[in-house]
Parts: sequence; C-alpha cells; structure tokens
Amino acid sequence: MIKKVLIANRGEIAVRVIRSCREMGILSVAVYSDADRRALHVRYADEAYHIGPSPSRESYLNGDRIIEVALRAGADAIHPGYGFLSENAEFARKCAAAGITFIGPDPDAINQMGDKITARQTMIAAGVPVVPGTQQKVSDMETVRKIVDEIGLPVIIKASAGGGGKGMRLVRRPEDLISAVKMAQSEALSAFGDDTVYIEKYVESPHHIEFQILADRHGNTVHLFERECSIQRRHQKVIEETPSPFLTPELREEMGKAAVAAAKAVNYVGAGTIEFLVDGNRNFYFLEMNTRLQVEHPITERVTGIDLVKEQIRIASGLPISFKQDEIAQHGHAIECRILAEDPFNNFMPSPGLIRHISEPNGLGVRTDGYAYEGYEIPIYYDPMISKLITWGRDRTEAINRMKRALFEYKITGVKTSIRFLERIMDNHDFRMGNYNTHFIPEHLDELMDIHPRGSKVFEDMAIIAAYFDFITKMEKVAMSDFTVTHSDNWKTYGLKRSLLPY
Amino acid sequence: MGLEVRIGDRIADVKLVRRDENVAVFEVDGVEYEVDIAQVENGVYSIIHNGKSFNIEIIPGDGPKNYYVNTFYNSHEVEIIDAQSRYQRSRKALDDHAADKIISTPMPGRVVKIPVNEGDTVTKGTTVIVISAMKMESEYKSPVDGVVKKIYVNEGDNINANQPLVEIE
Repeated sequence: MIKKVLIANRGEIAVRVIRSCREMGILSVAVYSDADRRALHVRYADEAYHIGPSPSRESYLNGDRIIEVALRAGADAIHPGYGFLSENAEFARKCAAAGITFIGPDPDAINQMGDKITARQTMIAAGVPVVPGTQQKVSDMETVRKIVDEIGLPVIIKASAGGGGKGMRLVRRPEDLISAVKMAQSEALSAFGDDTVYIEKYVESPHHIEFQILADRHGNTVHLFERECSIQRRHQKVIEETPSPFLTPELREEMGKAAVAAAKAVNYVGAGTIEFLVDGNRNFYFLEMNTRLQVEHPITERVTGIDLVKEQIRIASGLPISFKQDEIAQHGHAIECRILAEDPFNNFMPSPGLIRHISEPNGLGVRTDGYAYEGYEIPIYYDPMISKLITWGRDRTEAINRMKRALFEYKITGVKTSIRFLERIMDNHDFRMGNYNTHFIPEHLDELMDIHPRGSKVFEDMAIIAAYFDFITKMEKVAMSDFTVTHSDNWKTYGLKRSLLPY
Repeated sequence: MGLEVRIGDRIADVKLVRRDENVAVFEVDGVEYEVDIAQVENGVYSIIHNGKSFNIEIIPGDGPKNYYVNTFYNSHEVEIIDAQSRYQRSRKALDDHAADKIISTPMPGRVVKIPVNEGDTVTKGTTVIVISAMKMESEYKSPVDGVVKKIYVNEGDNINANQPLVEIE
C-alpha cells in the first residue's frame, strides 16, 4: 500500500487529494512555486517543498524537478491532479523509471487516448460509435473536399493534438471550407507545434455527456454513471450535473456499456472519463477520453458515495476497486458550479487579486472544494478557479434550489466572481426545465447578462446606513484618541491615524 | 453629521438624526429609518428595521473611505464622499480626460490578436487587442473614441503585467 503521496498540483485539487490521503492515513507532500508559498495546499499538507519560479513551465510542469523532490521526500507515489502533468505520458514513464508509482493510467493508454485520431480508430475497432468523419490525418485540399462531400456539411475541423477549443473551426458553407482548414492548421501549429487536422460531422444541438469509469489491475472495469456538462462557455464547462436530465434509463445503460468497452479497448487502469456527444435524437458518439480525474468529479462522488481519489490510490496500490458495478446507483441529484475569479459582466475578464473577505455556504447537501481564504491573493499565473460549489438534493429541483441558496450565501469580496452569473442560470426557465444543450449560454446570453438589482431599495439603504455608521464610528475613535493619548506613545498614535485617515 | 455616500451610480445624502445606544434614526435621501444597529462581529453589522433582519458585511476598500458592502442580495462598492474626496474626484476626472489611453493588462499573458492597425479610427468599445491569460481569452476594448496612436506588441508576443500594449489618442 502507498504510504506517502506527492501531489504534483496546486489549488483546490491539491487540497482535495490531500483530504483523501489524510483519511487513509497516508502522508501528503505538497510542492509549490514562488507564487504559492502562502497557498492552502502548502499549509494543509504534511510536507511542502519549493520547486521553482511562478510560471507553470518552471515549476508545476517541471517533471524532473518534481520527481527529484519526490525521491528526496521519500514519497512512493505521485498524484498529478488534473491539468499540468496529469496527461503527460513521458512524465508517467519517468516516474516508473524512478521507482515511483504514478497515480493514473499506464503511459501507453495516455498516448493512445491523447492522440485523437488514434483514439478514434481504437474506438471504431472496439465497436464504440464515433462521429462520422476522417480516420486519417488530412493535409491536402483534394482529400478534404472528398471527405466533406461524403459526410455532408456542416463539419468541424479539429487539430489532432488539440483541446480546450483551440484549432477548431465550424464550416457551414462550402465556400468557407478552404480558409477554415488553413486557419485551423495555423492555429494548431502555433498552439501545439503540429498542424495535423481532422474533419468531423458537426453534431447539431449537441449534449456533452461524459461517463466516469474506474478500472483496476484485476480485470474489473466499472462506470459510475454520467455527468451532463452541456452548460459551457467557449468550450469551457461552467455547470455540471448528474443524472443528466436528457438521458433515458435505456440510453444510460447503453452508454455505460460503451464507456466500459472504450476503457477496456486501451487496457485502461485507474480513473478516467469517456466524453460523448449526444445529438437531439439521442444518438451518441465517442468524443474523447480524459485519462485523469476531472474537475467535475465531486458530483459523481455525491450521488454514488464513492471517494474517487481513494479508489485511485487503491488501484495504484494494486488493490481491486472496492465495489462491483451492481452495487452502486445514482442516489438523488448533484450539481456543480465553478466559481471563477472573473467578471462576467465585463466580458468574463479574469479578475486575480486579493481576497478581502470570504463567507462560504454551508448546510445540508452543500460541499465547497476550494483553496482561497481571507487575505489570500489569487495569483496571476494559473487558472482563475476559486472553488467548486456542489449541491445535492433528493431530486433535481431540490438540488437547483439548494444551489441557488448556496450561491446566495457565498460572498467573496476583493475579486470579481462568476457567482451572480451562475445565479442567473439557476433562475433560467430552460435550465430549470432541463431543456438545454451546449448552445445554452450563447443562446441565453442577453437574458443572463441583464443586470437588474434584486431585493428592494431598503436593502441598498441599509447598506448605506451600515457603511455610514461604520465611518462615523471610526471618526469618533480617531477624535477620541487625539484627545486622550497625547502623552503616551506618539509613534503608535501616528500609526493609528495613518491607517484611519485619508492618504 | 451629514455626508454623501456613493453606492454604485447612486449618490445618497445620509445623516444620523439621533441615537440612543443601539437604536438610531438615520435619514437617507429624505427617508427616515429607525433601526436597531449592532456590530456583531468585526466588519459585520446586524440591523433590525421594522422587525426585518439585515445582516450586512462591511469590508474595508482601498482607502479609508471606501468599502465593499455585502447585503443578502448584492455586493456594493461604497464610498463616503467628504469635501476632500470630492476635490480628488474632480482632479482625477480632469487627469483622465487629458491623458492618452494606454491599454494594458493586470496579469501576464500572450497576445492572441490585434484587430486594429496604427492610425485606425476606433470608437468607444471597439476591441483593440485580444489577450490570453489565466487560461482564458479576453477582449480589451477602447475606453474612448479616438485613433490608434501606437501598438507596442505583436500577435503571439508574451507580455508582462501592466506593460503598455496599445495607445489610443
């Protein structure tokens, strides 16, 4: 059994992994960059080691340095979290070479699933449905035309090495085809150093639905049902929920089987996610596999009761999965909202900075996975996620109402956050009806951006009264100190006045 | 002592009419409120008005007269305006008017796109540069009507925080 885990990550996911380690009696080792000396994962771990300057490339992406620290600390395993080195086969290989367990799949599985064209071919061979399109990499325009004639418009051009929406182009009209391919290629080249693209049929009104899977080294592969991830902005997930309001029990079962088949096709070991596109007629297609723990994994944990990080550690230790497929079910409904440091009402501009005040929501069915605290400065070097807010309810309506209540309780001051925007979505009629697909945010943007203050004017007047009262009370204290403290410590008096009086 | 308080776009006249221990009467824009006000923890006031309970968080802002105020429903930026801050505000408005507009970002990132050229006429709200930072792409818009005077960077450049990117005249 693993005894000491180094977490090669930061932010909320590092804290979340350490929590499970602590419950299992496993020692945790944090690593940190210059910018993260004060970060929560450093404070929360049993041990912490500095690994380099703030930019990720020189710290959290520096695999050699991290392995060196793991050896020095005597860690027998590395948990990569998500992002950074989590889907880096080379890093997984280096860990193995250094005698350290990489808590994730084998390097071959990462490679097979990391290249989208290889993944596609593997899935076709395994009988998992894929979106109609090319199986081979395309470069010349003749082939492009031939393929598009075959599968019909609209099509989407994607970079083979891509992700996060980079190097993607939608083509609806034949005359746009050539320029779209060229642009996708140049974007792919600059972002990934590889200009290979492939062509897929564009699925109209798609749902993005993924299945969580777990596989061990004893031949067991199970799925932990779906996560509906269609609420997205610019291909970034904003809200996830499970069960999906769109799936039928039959479709769920069929997709679950396909997910297990997909994992088995690459001899997958560990936790992974099979992403599917589901069209308006409930046809589903394999999209890609994420060979790591996902940001949105807590909603699966909430409805199944399974701690996915513990299962990852068990599997990495060579133990079997702690349950069988027929022993788990989706109990109730869970939703996750991503709380980001950004200004939704100013073009979603990132808003790093000092957290002056934070009050987190609480109560039945509420979980926050975060890492920010009062006085913490969100660094400018990493992603803007402050926390994930997860609510659970016996049914979808209760989960939504609880999310609304929790968002209402959540107060973060000092940086702008997405909380108000998320509240609007919880209030949206189509969302509440479960009637949405990946076009939800663009289609409802005007409505979601409509800023009208809630609550009556009395609330605003009370805010004014409180601020005014606080100010005059402070002024009174300054006046009092002028009067009484003259003969004592003048430095102290001056310092006090400096902090209270205008600059 | 009567003061002006700015809350968002609104400027309200506020004064304390009278006070007896916790119970005080305030006048806000001519409306009288008799409230029971208590500082219950550091930075948190509990106000009871006509039986309604208001829990209000007061967080100090950048200066001694600036606050962030959280009510149940909203977060407000609040500023107490006295003679001195009124003077500073008018000065700042003048400075803003006179200066050229230099666009920069608060964090390091990469220039994704510059959809304008030097010499282009732009209106307020025209996107002049697209920056990728903190894993997001953001469009920076011209704050004024004017002409693009200088572009300091190229598409694909890595940039530092607060580095001048585009100057609008």
